[in-house]
Amino acid sequence: MPSIPVSASSPPLLRAEGLVVHFHTRDGVVRAVDGVDFEVGRGETLGIVGESGSGKTISSLALLRLVPPPARIEAGRVLFEGEDLLALPETAMTRVRGRRISMIFQNPATSLNPILSVGAQLSEILVWHGMATKREAPERIAELLRLVGLTDPAARLRQYPHELSGGMRQRVGIARALLCDPSLVLADEPTTALDVTIQAQILDLLAELRARLGMSMVLVTHDMGVVARMADRITVMYAGRVCESGSARTIFHSPQHPYTRALLDSMPRLDRSYRSGGRQLLPAIAGRPPGLLNPPAGCRFAARCPEATAECRRVLPVQVAVGPDHMVACLRRGSQGMAA
Amino acid sequence: MDAAIPAPLPAPPVKPPGIWRQGWYRFRRNRGGMVGLGLVLLVVLVALACPFLAPHDPGDQSAMLRGGARAAPSWLHPLGTDRMGYDVLSRVLYGAPTALAVGLGAMAIASLVGIVIGGIAGYVGGLLDEVLMRFAEFFLVIPVFVVILAVVRLFGIIVVGTPLEKVPHLNLLTIIALLGLFGWPPIARMARAEFLRLKQAEFVEAAICIGATKRDILLRHILPNALPSLIVLVALGIGGAVLAEAMVSFLGFGDPKAISWGQMLYFNYEALKVAPWGSLAPGVAIFLTVLGFNLLADGLTDAFNPRLRQ
Amino acid sequence: MGTLRYILRRLFFCACLVVGVSLILFALINAIGNPIEILLAERPGMTDEIVAEISRYYGLDGSVTDRYLTWAGAMLQGDFGTSIIYNQPVGGMLVTFGLETLKIQVPGILIALLASVGASVLAATRQYSRVDFGVISAAMLGHSLPGFFVGILLILVFAYWLGILPSYGAYSTRSMLMDSEIIDGLWHMVLPVSMLAFFNTATLTLLLRASLVDTLRQDYITAARAAGLPERRVVLGHALRNAFIPVLTYLGILFGLMLGTAPVTETVFTWPGLGALYIMAIQQLDYPLIMGTTMVITVMLVAATLLTDIAYVLIDPRIRLG
Repeated sequence: MPSIPVSASSPPLLRAEGLVVHFHTRDGVVRAVDGVDFEVGRGETLGIVGESGSGKTISSLALLRLVPPPARIEAGRVLFEGEDLLALPETAMTRVRGRRISMIFQNPATSLNPILSVGAQLSEILVWHGMATKREAPERIAELLRLVGLTDPAARLRQYPHELSGGMRQRVGIARALLCDPSLVLADEPTTALDVTIQAQILDLLAELRARLGMSMVLVTHDMGVVARMADRITVMYAGRVCESGSARTIFHSPQHPYTRALLDSMPRLDRSYRSGGRQLLPAIAGRPPGLLNPPAGCRFAARCPEATAECRRVLPVQVAVGPDHMVACLRRGSQGMAA
Repeated sequence: MDAAIPAPLPAPPVKPPGIWRQGWYRFRRNRGGMVGLGLVLLVVLVALACPFLAPHDPGDQSAMLRGGARAAPSWLHPLGTDRMGYDVLSRVLYGAPTALAVGLGAMAIASLVGIVIGGIAGYVGGLLDEVLMRFAEFFLVIPVFVVILAVVRLFGIIVVGTPLEKVPHLNLLTIIALLGLFGWPPIARMARAEFLRLKQAEFVEAAICIGATKRDILLRHILPNALPSLIVLVALGIGGAVLAEAMVSFLGFGDPKAISWGQMLYFNYEALKVAPWGSLAPGVAIFLTVLGFNLLADGLTDAFNPRLRQ
Repeated sequence: MGTLRYILRRLFFCACLVVGVSLILFALINAIGNPIEILLAERPGMTDEIVAEISRYYGLDGSVTDRYLTWAGAMLQGDFGTSIIYNQPVGGMLVTFGLETLKIQVPGILIALLASVGASVLAATRQYSRVDFGVISAAMLGHSLPGFFVGILLILVFAYWLGILPSYGAYSTRSMLMDSEIIDGLWHMVLPVSMLAFFNTATLTLLLRASLVDTLRQDYITAARAAGLPERRVVLGHALRNAFIPVLTYLGILFGLMLGTAPVTETVFTWPGLGALYIMAIQQLDYPLIMGTTMVITVMLVAATLLTDIAYVLIDPRIRLG
């Protein structure tokens, strides 16, 4: 995919530092996001990859301060265009959400209000942010609906979500995210709930829009194929922590963290043969992620890691630079340990 | 996101906990549900032990002769006496078995009718399902309470001069039967939904494949798995029936020979100003009983349908 | 096409319901024999001729089927017959007493609606907090308190102990409060309306809060927040409307059963409404009055279920009749 080179000198558009989100459940504190850093440059797409439960969705919601109760953001900073979003008053935050940072949701069937027409819910947002008057809104929205590839936009305005197909709904969801011309779009598994054929169309649309409108994007997904296609930079998350981050090229060509390697190995590739004696040999990662209620001391991946040592089970690794724009949190790759 | 919070796996149990045991684990952590269970157990205990707990005979009106009717609470009569000279505490305690008889009796009838009708509708389906469910809907939108009042009153006249007249507590039995016969539609609806769902469940299909009899499939495979959802409705229904009997009795259509909380209210409401304890005590008893069953039902919903609420 | 057929089917079902209820009661009333005979049995000097004469006057001669058809035919023309006890046309009585009932029931439900929306929003937006716990607990307690017991407590406290509100009736019998019929009437309404409002608020809050908590967890609510809409608008504009959808059925039942629960309320407060009239009618075996009152109550219930269906279509575009 086309990528805009990031100049190392310019400050990133958004940078999350030491983000911590805890779920306060009856059984105790669940450390869903436990000290996560990542950054997105201007015009860049950051892919956050991880399996379900790795904290990637909660991290993206935390950027907008929308983590659902009983979750709470406990610590960290989110620097966006020079200000810390976590320190802003709530009223100022409503001017950031939707206008400067917007969001595309995973399931288009549930992320549109079922009892409001497409026109009504989109124009409410547009009018609220002062981007158009009530009278101008329909025209602006129709224009945007055409941009996201919907035919007959005037008719779509009057339709209700249940009258649209899944792909069409997601296009409406994308239009909603683009309403106020934001500088950053958060896309949380934007294609997971769609049919395979529609998935490709939506990904193409997102790539095209990003290039055309020059915005940045955070793409949250569990699908290495999707990031390979879309992302300029990649952050790999596991059990609430970042394992590895770097440019897409580095991550795919020289992954350092054992988890990243395992993830890439479990991706089917055309240039490899997986058959031997009639048995399927696509490698899978044995075991399952640890519970985050009382996470094990040491590296979260240690229990499933082929390279784990006794030390890995005792101390938590801190990220270390292993190359230009390439950070890894693994004791076996030179990370310092942090007493858990 | 939910996958982020799997509990640490304990050592694999010899036998996986069944649906009831799992439910009990969850129920135990529900504060409201446990309070409800406590209240219900209290009522049951009182109902069983009322002859030993009551300070006086519930039929003893001798206070009336001593001019001691409507007496304020004292050591002799801890909750006072009412306008008929009865000891209020004793009558309240003896009201518990009546209330439970009404609640359990009415819901036994309602469950039987509801499960049979709903079960058939759900399992057989088709036209029979349509007809039975219309029938249930009819009963669901009938103004039940009003009809029950009329039937209780008119039935009391009809039986005069028939052998039925000699049945003890006929009036109370009529009320129980009516509450049951009008209370089954919600149970039938739930039973239908559950039977419909379960007949397509894999373990039922497996049972059909190994040649289990229809009777076996219905009674041993489907019914036990439908019970958790139904038991919530039954718990709610018991509280509802106790309340309904109290209202019928309060309006003066109850069984004059039975000792019931509604009857006490009916007899003592006129003397509310001079002897409020006569009305307050049975009122509180009804409240605690209904609250107990409501909380119990709430806890059971949480225990058996955790997805319904978090 | 589908809609029309649905409405016709629905109307047919409603008609069946009304006829069914009237048949049940009519059959029961006739099973006790001639009510005139029972009523007059204990009066001295009643010959068979007089009983037969009075029976004819009230249309009680002829076969049961004849009688039912005569009654139904007259009722369809708006003639509910004559009350045996009061010797007045039943139709007029139903209107007079019915209005008294509506006077306390409608405000009771409307106040409950407002109060429960407030309490639910307060609780659901603060899920897991003390406020939420307090609202749920209070609603659960209130929901389990028998309505008539609440009425008794209100009378005890406000009429007997504090002596600031009247304990019975719709109007003062001797001197009107501030010499105004309106103020006096309103004064008498306070306690019965409070009792109805209290009870309905508790139950509605339980349902609405649960529904609102569920709605607030939906993706489209997070999406509305992510679009920058302020919390007030998200909750009141987006969540509340959706949260009301599952509560509609209960709201319909509440309106429909307004008259059904009236006997209890009106006995507690000695209120001259339809419920009290009904109790009187069945105690006295005033059969035209029993039939008339029951019909009004049933029709009300049926109308409410129909209106609920319509409300669903209006509020939820996903639902089509048919």
